[in-house]
Amino acid sequence: MNRNKMSYKTGQFLQFAGISTLLFCGVVIIPFIYGLYLTFTDWDGVSVKKALVGGSNYAAALKDMDFWASLGRTLIYSAIAVILINVIAFLLAYAVTRGMKGQNFFRAGFFVPNLIGGIVLGYIWQFVFNRALPKLFTGFPKLLGDPKGAMAALIIVSVWQYAGYMMLIYVAGFMSVSKSLMEAAQIDGCTQSQSTWYVVVPLMRSSFVQCLFLSITRCFMVYDVNLSLTGGDPYGSSVLAAMHVYNQAFTYRNFGVGQAQALILFVICAIVGVTQVYVGKKGEVSA
Amino acid sequence: MKKLISVALAAAMTAAMAAPAMADGVDLTFFNSKMEIDDALKEEAAAYSEEFGVNMTDDYSSDTIAAHMATVYASGNPYVLSMVDAKDIYSMAPDHGLDLSGEDWVDKTTQAISIDGKVYGFPLCVEARGLIYNKTAIEDITGEEFKPEDYATREAFQGLIDKLKEGGMETPTGVMNEDWSLAGHYLPEVYETRDDVQGFVDQLYAGTADLANDERFNDLMDTFDILKENNYAKDEALTAAREDTEMMLAEGDIAFMFGGNWDWAVMNEYDPEGEYGMMPVPQENDTYNKMMVGGGSKYIFIDNTVSEEQQQAGKDFLNWLVNDEEGQDFLVNKCALVPAFTNNTLEVADPLGQSVKAYADANALVGNYNYLPDDHYSKCGAFFQKYLADEIDRAELAADVENYWKNTTPVTSSAEAATEGATE
Repeated sequence: MNRNKMSYKTGQFLQFAGISTLLFCGVVIIPFIYGLYLTFTDWDGVSVKKALVGGSNYAAALKDMDFWASLGRTLIYSAIAVILINVIAFLLAYAVTRGMKGQNFFRAGFFVPNLIGGIVLGYIWQFVFNRALPKLFTGFPKLLGDPKGAMAALIIVSVWQYAGYMMLIYVAGFMSVSKSLMEAAQIDGCTQSQSTWYVVVPLMRSSFVQCLFLSITRCFMVYDVNLSLTGGDPYGSSVLAAMHVYNQAFTYRNFGVGQAQALILFVICAIVGVTQVYVGKKGEVSA
Repeated sequence: MKKLISVALAAAMTAAMAAPAMADGVDLTFFNSKMEIDDALKEEAAAYSEEFGVNMTDDYSSDTIAAHMATVYASGNPYVLSMVDAKDIYSMAPDHGLDLSGEDWVDKTTQAISIDGKVYGFPLCVEARGLIYNKTAIEDITGEEFKPEDYATREAFQGLIDKLKEGGMETPTGVMNEDWSLAGHYLPEVYETRDDVQGFVDQLYAGTADLANDERFNDLMDTFDILKENNYAKDEALTAAREDTEMMLAEGDIAFMFGGNWDWAVMNEYDPEGEYGMMPVPQENDTYNKMMVGGGSKYIFIDNTVSEEQQQAGKDFLNWLVNDEEGQDFLVNKCALVPAFTNNTLEVADPLGQSVKAYADANALVGNYNYLPDDHYSKCGAFFQKYLADEIDRAELAADVENYWKNTTPVTSSAEAATEGATE
């Protein structure tokens, strides 16, 4: 049997990856292409006719100032949330890999928020911000009634939700660094903090790359918490990009414009994500 | 043990697959977009199926109606009966709706929606907007009988508010901060309460309307200022929860709130023992302070691609709602709705509905304007929320709303649709 023959290779490929390729095409590639087609039509979501309108949806999408405002908000929100999520996750991971008492309990505990769906999380925190905190501390500002407060609330909830998840990845990173390297560093005269900083952290680079990628993409695409926590209020000042796209497509029934904006969001997200992974991977060290 | 579980699971799955096949009769699928009546509807669907040998199922979605319908039509599996808002009838029915002009209920209502001479929308009920009051709470303080018609003018209303405050009710009003309430219900009264509604909307589109100096705008906003000034949550107007406001109204902590008869579903949860009702928004205009704004609400259309038996079953169900005693009872007593049909003379159960029915019977309802752009309530709602939170003043609100209209593409065929609409 000639293993270099195309038919053999195709057969092998189909055996191993045929079903998943089919599924991937069915649920990702084809909808993506169909979505791309929709950006060139004036479809409203339910009408039978879809007239081609050329690039006018893209023109409308670019002219939509609310879209750019929501994108700007998303950038600020993502920047702050990503930094906080990763710093806190890293510190938590550091704490629960020191061999302290009950550390498995803490690991599980910090991870729990991530198991609660974003919608439920939003409602819980809405209660906390609107009722619990002002009741407990008289004079506590009602964050959700103020534009800046609402954004702060979104960031707090996102950090609470994702820090535990990222912590697990960092924990795996910490665990993957061999003890012998730490010991070798300490024999060479490193203090505990020096060996963490100069030996462990560089070896954990892949954890950082992963966590940053995950938290950046999730923050950019956030919708559920946005919907249930603030709903875009007060006066539309906390509408993030994904929510704006949804509203544009479904609530205002400009399917084409919404789809075009979704595509713009996708491109931005892809550029940020790929750049970050590329830069991160470039300097990766392996033990 | 494992084997037992797998056998049980397999059996359960097989049973689940067999279940729909077992029921005979045609499938009558119903999309419900009115959360308050969903439990009653589910129960009725089962009873109706049994009685008429159909297989009626009810589906509710809290999603935006347009979004849900988009999914349903994209999947090629439409409902036989879909309950949507009036504006959805205009956008969907010409493509997907069945012409119901020949149905016998058409003559028994003034609220059906027709487009190009064809009747598409079956009005489920009548709803109206106005000021909801807690009669018991007011009378407890004033010591005299509360007659809403005595407080039709702003001066009289302000007097009553002052009296309530003197009597110990420090903040007699509540204001819902939701954008759909502010700009979906209150602001539209500015457009709706005038002779030439479409003419005014056209002026807004053209940018020639002067809202800041408009008599209707200022009349209604002056009253809104009274509501805002005496709001129990004045300092945190934007975070007050709708449920809290309605609870306070139901329990008599406040006396007035702008809303509609659908609010009864929430108020009913608290203290249904007091006496409540609805009145027009107090204002100086002598015509409109005697009328509430409202009309047909939630429209049902029948899909035109389902089988003929299904279409017939759909028509039968609508006829049952209008003409059958059980159907009438279902609408009025089980769902607590105000019927849109003249032959349904059952006494409306809830007090707010009773007020609406009284105004409807007296021909004192100003029709809804059903051709607002889809983003009107959220965009103008944001401006109105700023006004409520004292971020902007009335002149700025007027300018923002004018700008919104100027930069919005007119709703297509709204002009000709308006003349066809039956909601006047």
